[in-house]
Amino acid sequence: MTAATLLEPKDEPDIGKLGMWVFLASEVLFFGGLFLAYLYGRTHWPLGWAAASRHTDVVLGTVNTALLLTSSAVVALAVACEEDARQRRWTARLLALTAALGAVFLVIKGFEWHAEWDEHLFPGPSFALDVAGAQEFFVLYFVMTGLHAVHMIVGVGALAILARGRSRDREWARSGHLEVAALYWHFVDVVWIFLYPLLYLVQRHG
Amino acid sequence: MADESTFARTARRLGVAWCALLALMLSSLGSAYLKLGPWNLISGLVIAAIKATIVAWLFMRLRESGPLIRLVAVVGLGVWCILIGLSGVDYETRSLTPSAVQRPQQLLSPQAASQPH
Amino acid sequence: MTTSYLDDGLTIRSWLTTTDHKRIAILYAIAITCFFFVGGAAATIIRLELATPQGDLVSHDAYNKLFTAHGVIMVWLFLIPSIPSVLGNFLLPLMIGAKDLAFPRLNLMSWYLYVAGGLVTLEALFLGGVDTGWTFYTPYSTMFSNTYVVLTLTGVFITGFSSILTGLNFIVTIHTLRARAMGWFKLPLFVWGMYATSLILVLATPVLAITVLLLIAERLFQIGIFDPAFGGDPLLFQHLFWFYSHPAVYVMILPAMGVVSEIIPCFARRPIFGYRSMAYAIMTIASVGFLVWGHHMFVSGQSLTASMVFSLLSFIVAIPSAIKVFNWTATLYKGSIRFDAPMLYALGFVGLFTIGGLTGLFLASLALDVHLTDTYFVVAHFHYIMVGGAVMAYFAGLHFWWPKVTGRLYPEVWSRIAAVIAFIGFNLTFFPQFLLGIEGMPRRYHTYPPQFQVLNLFSSAGAGVLAIGYLMPLVYLTWSIRHGARAGDNPWAAKGFEWQTRSPPPTDNFDTPPTVPDIVYDYVADEPEFAR
Repeated sequence: MTAATLLEPKDEPDIGKLGMWVFLASEVLFFGGLFLAYLYGRTHWPLGWAAASRHTDVVLGTVNTALLLTSSAVVALAVACEEDARQRRWTARLLALTAALGAVFLVIKGFEWHAEWDEHLFPGPSFALDVAGAQEFFVLYFVMTGLHAVHMIVGVGALAILARGRSRDREWARSGHLEVAALYWHFVDVVWIFLYPLLYLVQRHG
Repeated sequence: MADESTFARTARRLGVAWCALLALMLSSLGSAYLKLGPWNLISGLVIAAIKATIVAWLFMRLRESGPLIRLVAVVGLGVWCILIGLSGVDYETRSLTPSAVQRPQQLLSPQAASQPH
Repeated sequence: MTTSYLDDGLTIRSWLTTTDHKRIAILYAIAITCFFFVGGAAATIIRLELATPQGDLVSHDAYNKLFTAHGVIMVWLFLIPSIPSVLGNFLLPLMIGAKDLAFPRLNLMSWYLYVAGGLVTLEALFLGGVDTGWTFYTPYSTMFSNTYVVLTLTGVFITGFSSILTGLNFIVTIHTLRARAMGWFKLPLFVWGMYATSLILVLATPVLAITVLLLIAERLFQIGIFDPAFGGDPLLFQHLFWFYSHPAVYVMILPAMGVVSEIIPCFARRPIFGYRSMAYAIMTIASVGFLVWGHHMFVSGQSLTASMVFSLLSFIVAIPSAIKVFNWTATLYKGSIRFDAPMLYALGFVGLFTIGGLTGLFLASLALDVHLTDTYFVVAHFHYIMVGGAVMAYFAGLHFWWPKVTGRLYPEVWSRIAAVIAFIGFNLTFFPQFLLGIEGMPRRYHTYPPQFQVLNLFSSAGAGVLAIGYLMPLVYLTWSIRHGARAGDNPWAAKGFEWQTRSPPPTDNFDTPPTVPDIVYDYVADEPEFAR
């Protein structure tokens, strides 16, 4: 018989990191169903998809993409700062900046939806475009960007709380939790990286 | 514990990645205005995949992660591919014939007149 | 003397705020038992109605609501959580030598999510129910049903997150909290079963979640992607739904297989035959199980090519299951077999699961499925797996680990009688349904041609017997909590870490760290009698 000792739990970040990655894998499947629906629609109603996509606001969409990519870089920098004794003083501010960029993204998204509402692009009886499949596109557009926005709100909230906690040197705002929150934020960014060309850039040249 | 040169290297790497991401985004935007046919979709997806890889590899630190975490990422993606792939087998081998109950505008689409895609 | 986890706080509040995996397991056990009897009540009314050919007990609509309630409750509120959330929660940390799961507070949150989802679903039932079938096919569920579809789906959505978080917890726990020297191939097969189940929970359930959201959106706004009038596809719903719901049946059976793999070696006093192949088979079932969902859609309008692909893959997925049946059987060879209640249930599982699995192959054959689909053959097939298999294994596990969980022994004779009654009742209920299906009796109908009545009567009578078989444990197990003889640490002389600690265990699971054996399941046939 080999003697064994109870394994001491590994350092917190490893367990937390693995947990977050497993959660992100589940999120891939959560959004993944919507991408299947999108693929169905695009392959069956290409003209409707094209017509509908041309009515999305490509300027605001591109600005938003730039904001989100930047925020991802900022939060990655924040995590790097936390790991360096001399740069640790910047962490809280960088976290707050990330949250702020996310908040601006959401505000711009709100403007977009408001404009789309005014243009009668919300699916329903008064839908403006008379091309087959255009309404399906907008169903998916609002569900996908809406679900993404919900995830953004959670992320902005978490980062804001962590920023505040870090600035007050709270124990729960330590590097393990920051890294886990950053992973979540990066994932939300990756989802948008795919939403951008699929929603905003269908047959722009038409 | 990271020393300053490690931090400087990391920060530089992040900066380069950020520039690359923005450049890729602009190229994606630009290519959408060119008439490339089916290559529009492909280039859009490929550029998005490169951006996602940069974020996953550098920002999410898959570069430094052990095989387990990488396996988690691969398995998540892989199962999604199964969803798309096997559903795709059905959609690719089934013809779409709109029926009379569908609203007229669905039937007017040129797509409705022939096999899809 | 020394206290156990049961003495660690005696108020209700201490139970409702616990993060102890063992207490959470008991919270789950109480909740799923309640749901089991609600689902069973629906089944009782269904079988009473089907005793006669006419629809004379309930109306068409009420009948539709009954079988929907039965399916929704039994699948999502009973079977999916049963073994993982009760036995898995209790045993997983013990079996790997850990103090608790990786995320104990998340574990408690999983329970609350489960209860919240369950209560929302029950509320929908009490308000008037839902009549779409547990499969919620469009366009009926989105456009035509006048029942509480959205509310029920909301409950299911919430419960789904309980599953996902439990799976996440188990995966991280198994990877990071194993005792030193406990490599993957020293793990009990129950742990392998929990691991594979958790993979499915994490990867398949989110697809259900998004499908349910889309269904709710389409029903609320009357515009969506499943509606052909707008260019949508009802089959898209089925692809998304079954992508989850097929792996979900493996969520129900893999833990059961894990339980049986713990029990048979113990009561045959033999190591499990082919340990590695059993572990590989578990992982293969979980993986290939993601590739077969289209076999639920053979007559739905799915393309013939896709149907053939799914049919082939469905035959393939039967192979690892068959390997497991061979190995359980081989484990018995030259064993010193004892027919205690856990073993009776486990042996029942092997036989009934085999029948259920083989009849699945009939359904996987395209030509046969055209005749058999949506008949009672399908109903019999999945009940053989889910009830004859999973529920029987759940009872096996309950009886096997009851002394560990409660520190008490239950009456031996009554437990064996109940196991036999359940086995007889089960077969009497469901075997006639195979015959009814072949003869063409459709499922989900509350009337039928008179020539089917004899078999239906057998089935309904069987249901009564089965009910007795299920009620008996409720009585004597509850009785044993107060009045049963006190159990020792290892009443079955079983191997495994959980048997190296007290019955019931202390809050931190172990007084002294357990020893890792050189071989798993090193049972020897001529070891001394059980020290009960």
